[in-house]
Amino acid sequence: MLTYADRLRAMRNTKVRHTLEKRKQNGYTDLDDFGTVPISEGYSVEPWYNSTNGSFYGYDGMCENFCRVIDAHEPYIDPMEMLCGRWRDMLVNYRGDLHYMPDWLKNNEKIMEFMKSATNQWSKRWDEQRFPYDDLKPNQKKYNIATGIDGDAHFACDYRIGFELGFGGLLEKIEKYRKINPDKKAFYDAEERTVKAIIRFVERHCEKLREMIPAEERPEIKENLQTMLKTCENITYGAPKTFREVCQWTAFFNCASRIYTRDGAGFQLDGLLYPYYENDVKNGILDDETAKFLVANLLLIDPHYYQISGVDENDRDMTNKLSYLILDAADSINIACNLTVRMHENCDKEFQRKAVYYLIKNKNGWPRFCNDKALAEGYMKNGVDKKTSRERIAVGCNWMCVPGKEFPMNDTVKINIAKVLDEALKDLKNCDEKSAEKLFELYESHLKIAIQTVADGVNLHIDHAWEVTPELVMNLMMNNTIERGEDISQCAELYTVGVDGAGLAVVADSFGAIETRIENEKLVSWDNLFENLENDYADERVRTIMASAPKYCSGGSASDKWAKRLTESWVTAVKAQKMPKGRQLVPGWFSWSRTIEYGSNVGATPNGRRAAQPISHGANPNPHFRNDGAPTAQSNGIASVQCGYGNTAPLQIEFDPMVKADEHGIDMVLKLIEGHFEQGGTLININVLDKQKLLEANENPDTHPDLVVRVTGFTAYFASLSPRFRQLVVDRFLTGF
Amino acid sequence: MADAVVADIQRASTHDGPGFRTTVFFKGCPLSCAWCHNPECISFEPQILEYPEKCIGCGKCADGCFAGAKVLCGKRMTPAEIAAEVARDKAYYGKDGGVTFSGGEPLAQRDALSECIDECKKLGIRCAVETSLIYYDEEIFKKLDLVMADLKIWDSATHKKYTGVPNERIIENFKKVNSLGVPVIARTPVIPGVEQGIPQISAFLKTLENVKCYELLPYHPLGKSKRQALNMAEDEFSVPSAEFMEELKQYAYIR
Repeated sequence: MLTYADRLRAMRNTKVRHTLEKRKQNGYTDLDDFGTVPISEGYSVEPWYNSTNGSFYGYDGMCENFCRVIDAHEPYIDPMEMLCGRWRDMLVNYRGDLHYMPDWLKNNEKIMEFMKSATNQWSKRWDEQRFPYDDLKPNQKKYNIATGIDGDAHFACDYRIGFELGFGGLLEKIEKYRKINPDKKAFYDAEERTVKAIIRFVERHCEKLREMIPAEERPEIKENLQTMLKTCENITYGAPKTFREVCQWTAFFNCASRIYTRDGAGFQLDGLLYPYYENDVKNGILDDETAKFLVANLLLIDPHYYQISGVDENDRDMTNKLSYLILDAADSINIACNLTVRMHENCDKEFQRKAVYYLIKNKNGWPRFCNDKALAEGYMKNGVDKKTSRERIAVGCNWMCVPGKEFPMNDTVKINIAKVLDEALKDLKNCDEKSAEKLFELYESHLKIAIQTVADGVNLHIDHAWEVTPELVMNLMMNNTIERGEDISQCAELYTVGVDGAGLAVVADSFGAIETRIENEKLVSWDNLFENLENDYADERVRTIMASAPKYCSGGSASDKWAKRLTESWVTAVKAQKMPKGRQLVPGWFSWSRTIEYGSNVGATPNGRRAAQPISHGANPNPHFRNDGAPTAQSNGIASVQCGYGNTAPLQIEFDPMVKADEHGIDMVLKLIEGHFEQGGTLININVLDKQKLLEANENPDTHPDLVVRVTGFTAYFASLSPRFRQLVVDRFLTGF
Repeated sequence: MADAVVADIQRASTHDGPGFRTTVFFKGCPLSCAWCHNPECISFEPQILEYPEKCIGCGKCADGCFAGAKVLCGKRMTPAEIAAEVARDKAYYGKDGGVTFSGGEPLAQRDALSECIDECKKLGIRCAVETSLIYYDEEIFKKLDLVMADLKIWDSATHKKYTGVPNERIIENFKKVNSLGVPVIARTPVIPGVEQGIPQISAFLKTLENVKCYELLPYHPLGKSKRQALNMAEDEFSVPSAEFMEELKQYAYIR
């Protein structure tokens, strides 16, 4: 008889096989795994285009193509699992933006032929024919801005809405409000068809299960399939009632939201699932081992970002028995689990120790840790009440969101401040007065223009997203949407739009090196610097002089002071930006994984960085920031550059694999986390990696297809990363702790 | 106020005592252990470590090297400056961590050490030393939270052969420190090929009630590259095998 452990092993092996197969189909992705399974043989979608530029938009375009893609998805049932459903493909793949197209789709001649025949002068994700922004493009390019225009989702659903209603209840809700808002027919038609397509997806799983059950000979697996069928039948229309049903419902909904635009976000996993757990245990239909297996299964199906632990609006600890089981479940499956532990002084300390224990023991980059105090109090500074601020949970790579209420566009909007510095340096060259202060003045004036450009782009996106990419799936579990017949982009309660700066360490170290080496020590002249910036440091001595100036995170250096000053300036400028209709911008520091791409657009910088080299990662220091690479020094530095309005400047840290999963090791890691949070840090992503394994996998990724690394906020299978990206992770690790 | 000559300050050290520690390496040591893994801390004077592989051939050595080919080791710091650096990691020390004054032999700069301890204590930071116990300084030892001391070789003549000094005074100082009541962690670096008398050392230490722990530390080849950088003769030692360490494990203890 197969035990849960046997089945989990089999599920993990299948996951490894899928990872390798997907790499064959998609090439290197440099992305989160997203829980997809490989494209099956004969899979094909005929997209419907409603724009002459070879794309589709709006309620009808998105809805029709969602139905086509989800209908093309075969049911996914692994008899080892207790839950079913997976996703393979998403409709935005068919929008003809070659940059986003997976390799397997590029091999589809029919699709490619159509793409070539379509007008190619506009972006395919954003409908530029109707909503052009040519006026913004020069500055967007100049400051290397990730605009957020055409970005999708990056907000969080309130799953309680779906859990309460089920798919049938959502249909009824649509019908009810359709009558109240007869002028919103296009919206309600699209939402109704969307829910019905999800229901068909569930029904196909039921049909497939009915076929599979008679042929299954292993009694325990047969029984599993029968229960799976019953579960799917119960939730095809009905609201989930049991723990298994609520997990299965989540799995189906998440598959649908991924198929839509790959996005979606998690929720407070221990909080929302606890009533179902408690009830089933009370009724004697659920034991802890089964609950653990179900959670592990859910985490396998979709690596959404889930938060666990934390405190409620009255500062009461929310850690419960399920919080512990979730950690145990993640341990039992030990894949790319994006669990974030919310820390607060009132939270269960034993739970935090256990979380750290699993981080060290498994060396798979989970869980992550976020700081309630800095996040909630910071968010309140945007004029939001305490209760709502507490609801703002860790559901994304670097970001937080109030489920159901907020439209933050988080992680889609960025300014490469190294590029802003680049522009300021060009101006300074022509100035008579040359000083760090003058450079800073020029930098700030360019930054102001960059932020205005960002604001214009954000407003364009929010004003028209409903006509381009309405969020038909996620709208189902947002406040106001169905009630008003509006897309969430039109009716969110909170528009606290995240804007991240990227390249902090490059800029801080550049100012620091100028102050130290040019102004104080007079080792290099301004002319000499400019000559070397232009010829990409032909003089290696000048480069080493500039590069060896004490860096940001070394502790008490000029660059440390500049990092703080740059943060103050960044926060002031972002918060000062005027926004219409109650919208506001919220500052953070984060580069996502764009360090290579961003670096390629920036010339040589005064910190000794050569042209086109990667920029620094997130809020992290540059490599070799101290000889001892002290994580405490890094932690202090990053704590000192927090923007303070509830968005993050994450501490991304690589930890020595010599740290053991014993009391001493746990103490050490916990002290680092607590020390960072005491000083105002917001989010910590820790990699505890085995050096040997990492180097072997870098040489040949197939030797360790199960190796997971936390790249930025997201985790990825190392085997799916491109050689250049793998090297970046390895370099970061080797210069780490 | 007495300045200290410091070779380096390492933060977030996890190898020089309990918890997160900042280790201050004092320069200068009256011993010259043949296997020393901090050979740059033997001389009391500032020295240049040379790493020719990093040389960029600019020919401007006299104006200072920034490429890392010539690295100055040894800097004068006031106790207040040292304490300020140590205090940077206060948030991580907790109840166990703190500062470790190491070297070299920190007690060889006793006045500076004493003031460093006072400055750190004022900031509420726990203080430890790593010492050869060649010196006994009651005033200093009484101020410490922990003493980490080496007893490297039991036989005095062998001790002298490998470290340059006999060990009678060290053994005597172990007894004196023990009588102060300060917790002591005793350690022996395990050097294959040297008759160290670890069983005898262990038996002796067990008679001292305040020696809370006896650790055996495998020889670390870290010193080799630094000896090269200092133009010193190479040492002939090698890392002990796991089997050898396993055999010796019976002599280590915690109580």
